[in-house]
Amino acid sequence: MNLELQLLGAQLRAIAEEMGAVLVRSSFSANIKERRDCSTAIFDDRGRMVTQAEHIPVHLGAMPEAVAAARELAPAPGEVVILNDPYAGGTHLPDVTLVARLDLGFAVARAHWADVGSPEPGSMPARSRRLDDEGIVIPPTRLDDGLARTLTARMRNPGERLGDLRAQLAALHLAHRRLGELCAHHGRHRVRAAMDELLSYSERVVRGAIAALPDGTWSARDVIEAPEGLLALEAAVTVHGDEVTIDFAGSAPQHDGNLNCPLAVTRSACYFVVRCLTEPDLPACGGAFAPVCVVAPPGSLLNATSPAAVAAGNVETSSRVVDVVFAALGQALPVPAQGQGTMNNVAFGNERFSYYETIAGGQGACPDADGPSGVHVAMSNTLSTPAEALELAYPIRVERHALRLGSGGRGEHRGGDGVVRELRVLEDCRCSLIADRQVRSPAGRAGGLPGAPGRIMLNGRQVPAKATLDLRANDLLRIETPGGGGFGEPPTAPPTGSG
Amino acid sequence: MGKRQGGSGDVASTYHRPVTILGIDVGGTFTDAVLVGDDGTVVTAKLPTRTPQAEVIVAAARAVAGDRPLGRFTLGTTLATNTLLERRGARTAFVATEGFEHLLHVRRQTRAHLYRLCSPHPEPVVALERCYGVRERMGPDGVLVPLDLDHLPPLDGVEAVAVTLLFSFRDPSHEQALARELRRRHPHLHVVASHEIAPEFREYERASTTAVDAYLGPPVARALAGLEAACRRHHLAAPLVFRSSGGVVTLAEAAAHPATILLSGPAAGAMGAARIARACGYPMALAIDMGGTSTDVSLIRDGLPERAPERTVGGLPVRLPTIDVHTIGAGGGSIVWRDRGGALRIGPESAGAAPGPACYGNGGTRPTLTDANLLLGRLPAELPGGIHLDPAAAERAMAGLEPAEVVAVAEAEMLRALRVVSVERGQDPRACALVAFGGAGPLHACALAEALGIQTVLVPETAGVLSALGLAASDERRDSVRSVVRPLAQAGPLPAAGEADLRYRGQSFELTVPIQPGLAEAFHRLHEQRYGYADRDREIELVAVRWADTTPGPYVALRASALRQVRGPAVVELDGSTAWVGPGWSGTSDAHGTLVLERR
Repeated sequence: MNLELQLLGAQLRAIAEEMGAVLVRSSFSANIKERRDCSTAIFDDRGRMVTQAEHIPVHLGAMPEAVAAARELAPAPGEVVILNDPYAGGTHLPDVTLVARLDLGFAVARAHWADVGSPEPGSMPARSRRLDDEGIVIPPTRLDDGLARTLTARMRNPGERLGDLRAQLAALHLAHRRLGELCAHHGRHRVRAAMDELLSYSERVVRGAIAALPDGTWSARDVIEAPEGLLALEAAVTVHGDEVTIDFAGSAPQHDGNLNCPLAVTRSACYFVVRCLTEPDLPACGGAFAPVCVVAPPGSLLNATSPAAVAAGNVETSSRVVDVVFAALGQALPVPAQGQGTMNNVAFGNERFSYYETIAGGQGACPDADGPSGVHVAMSNTLSTPAEALELAYPIRVERHALRLGSGGRGEHRGGDGVVRELRVLEDCRCSLIADRQVRSPAGRAGGLPGAPGRIMLNGRQVPAKATLDLRANDLLRIETPGGGGFGEPPTAPPTGSG
Repeated sequence: MGKRQGGSGDVASTYHRPVTILGIDVGGTFTDAVLVGDDGTVVTAKLPTRTPQAEVIVAAARAVAGDRPLGRFTLGTTLATNTLLERRGARTAFVATEGFEHLLHVRRQTRAHLYRLCSPHPEPVVALERCYGVRERMGPDGVLVPLDLDHLPPLDGVEAVAVTLLFSFRDPSHEQALARELRRRHPHLHVVASHEIAPEFREYERASTTAVDAYLGPPVARALAGLEAACRRHHLAAPLVFRSSGGVVTLAEAAAHPATILLSGPAAGAMGAARIARACGYPMALAIDMGGTSTDVSLIRDGLPERAPERTVGGLPVRLPTIDVHTIGAGGGSIVWRDRGGALRIGPESAGAAPGPACYGNGGTRPTLTDANLLLGRLPAELPGGIHLDPAAAERAMAGLEPAEVVAVAEAEMLRALRVVSVERGQDPRACALVAFGGAGPLHACALAEALGIQTVLVPETAGVLSALGLAASDERRDSVRSVVRPLAQAGPLPAAGEADLRYRGQSFELTVPIQPGLAEAFHRLHEQRYGYADRDREIELVAVRWADTTPGPYVALRASALRQVRGPAVVELDGSTAWVGPGWSGTSDAHGTLVLERR
């Protein structure tokens, strides 16, 4: 690899990371600042993703559509396009994406806002049926001050939403400045050559790793728990030479609720699995996904069409896509047992406040290691909100935050334990719950036992995991998150000190 | 006796006239000693580190000081760091608010690696079975559940206890009562309560700091007591110990809270660099300290190293004021390799002290940065300490690699680190001088300065032992912090000097601003500098206030051992270090012995 281009490429990556740091540190939504539910990236003139600073994997493959949608408006250098429409470059409505045309290429900043004007707090309604039940749909539009104000005026806490927008714009301005300096110093054509080289480098590395996998086609099936019953996901994964094709034919049709994934989200989940099984340390770059082809029938759960609702697809169904693709490849390769397979989304709010969080659980055990306890698995990796930070800002008290001991599946390697979190609300408010793996346990692998399924209790009585509730002051919500599956036959005697 | 915020120099000092001072820095591989005589002359020594550290400390002191009376003796040590990284701390229990007993194990719920799913976090210092809850609850506005002292955990078989109750940063009364009761019932236990060491909000980070401090307490106290006894036997005064926050305290204070000395060595290097930069008249500087396995960089602003309120040590958060040293895993001994995509990479694997780089001739066969530097003619035939360098061995190890490319890759990593502490913190590097030290820092300084647009490189004569020099003359310093978490406008009086952690109400990350008149405007300006925008209509929240009581250290004016004049390209051999003066660079050494290099 040409050394000059390698070093320039490292500087491009550094720009994307610095954009991410600016966005996280100066934003207002808990989802961005505490949980880092955001990503920043640099694209080339042709709309290919050169480098991405990722904090959570769900944005991995979902950004190129945003740039493609913005390019259709042919923005001039310096212009910024805003969007959140899942069917025109977005993922789900709370993910608001800004795309800036630079002198060379594009800069993108995507972040999960605390509210985008849904009737339910947190804009993560449990029972939405159409996209516009979930908040304001922003088609790709040139952004100006007037638009920023009219859009945010329709959301809760418009001042904070404007603050989030400014943080995203600050990240884009930074990219503009840094890339300008790089071009001035090295010349535009060398920077462009470095972009090409980053793309072909990552493609080369991933193709090499896929070529090392056995050829063949393997299928697997799993389910997601819709309120009205189980929905099937089917994946056929074909490894052929240095390419992978993942076909979801046979999966459930589009859901009349909000468990639907736009194809971009399905792709992200597939890229995640390929990355785990090939080159986990490779910096994120569009080239790495060139050898991965994802197909799903239009109008199905995993390639939904407008105006299907999608709030839970991004957070829950995407986790199940990971499980089913791992399961298919697990017939040919060593893969981990299933992790909690849900993000346990909880949102509270009333006229005065809006709060949203996701809760960790058990990771499935790996062929060579126990699964970690109390961590986010698969498509999320957001931080928890400290009890002290939460209670200083919201009418909520954390009464318990502990490991759910013994919930991980036994095995030669143990699945990780889930957690128990008890939240007492101090005011009347609405509460949205979106969680999964309450019926079907996370499966063990190679003889390992399954993890315990999750459970949500309100004042001691179990409640549905996809529901919107009216809470009264002093109500206590207890969320028990699933444990991960074990790997390999458990030892014959129960292990001592299993906690 | 004068007290003031940070720094030292020409203010009142407890030292009324120049005295003989001794600084010893015990590093991972070598122990450095620097003696500065009352006339400014400098004597140095470098000994291999061994355990117990007391022996090598006494030996190093003897090597440079002989029987000369000392006006001051200060110590930097890896004792606490090694005890933590090697998990040789006390058997410790953790006591928290009921419902939060697993705090150290639940962490902040993120996994260790995004795509390596079972990659473990570092093991907490307290095992799950020794984590207990007590019935009590403090809320943001006071007591919710009274403290129940009738049902306390047994605490059998432990040597130390860490106590972290919710909201103790706001109201420590429950924690105080619990700690008092535990100390009464178990007089031999080492008890640390979180408000005593890190009274700041965010319970996981506070608990982690408290647990680390309790865990280190007993063994570090024993080791420091052993050192004190050894010093007494050898008629040496007990040393002052250098803290991560950039000043010294007594041995007893260090032993009481060893978490405050975790970054003793790197912090001392940054202090030494700041001293050099100040003496040369550069209040703004970047410091680069490159050793065998890693490189530390830091920013010096207005003559003092920048401080950070928190950092991780061995993957565990430690929320204590620390000199803000940014470390990368690339040093002279770092292994060079090609990855699967054909890109040239350096580190983090290192040839270490044994076998060392291939050119040391001790059996190393894999290429390192030092081998590349040798082949480029930037190292002498023999290193200080009597290591003969073998170009043929370097050539064999480097087969197929271009030395200039290896150096370019390493310098790109260092450049990235230097940009993190300057450009990304809103500081233009072009306004800084670059202070280069450590065994290998001065080899790369000119190239790095060129890439950053820096005009002046400072290479101290004591480049190989600058950390020891930095701590020898440092101030005494005791840090305090008070958690506030209230609007700035309602915060009440602040200390006259110190630092405030501020943020716009609604944000989660604070910016640290020196306390000054017009604090709010200073915050807006810093926010604009860091993040590209300010919002003067938005309410500002004061999260914490930090201040320090300092007593200035002795006044030190170094005297150069020799005057040097160089014109690049040239190799300059220094005490424990080698400088490469690139083409286009030249300079002379000043009266303190610092080589001041400028671009022609």
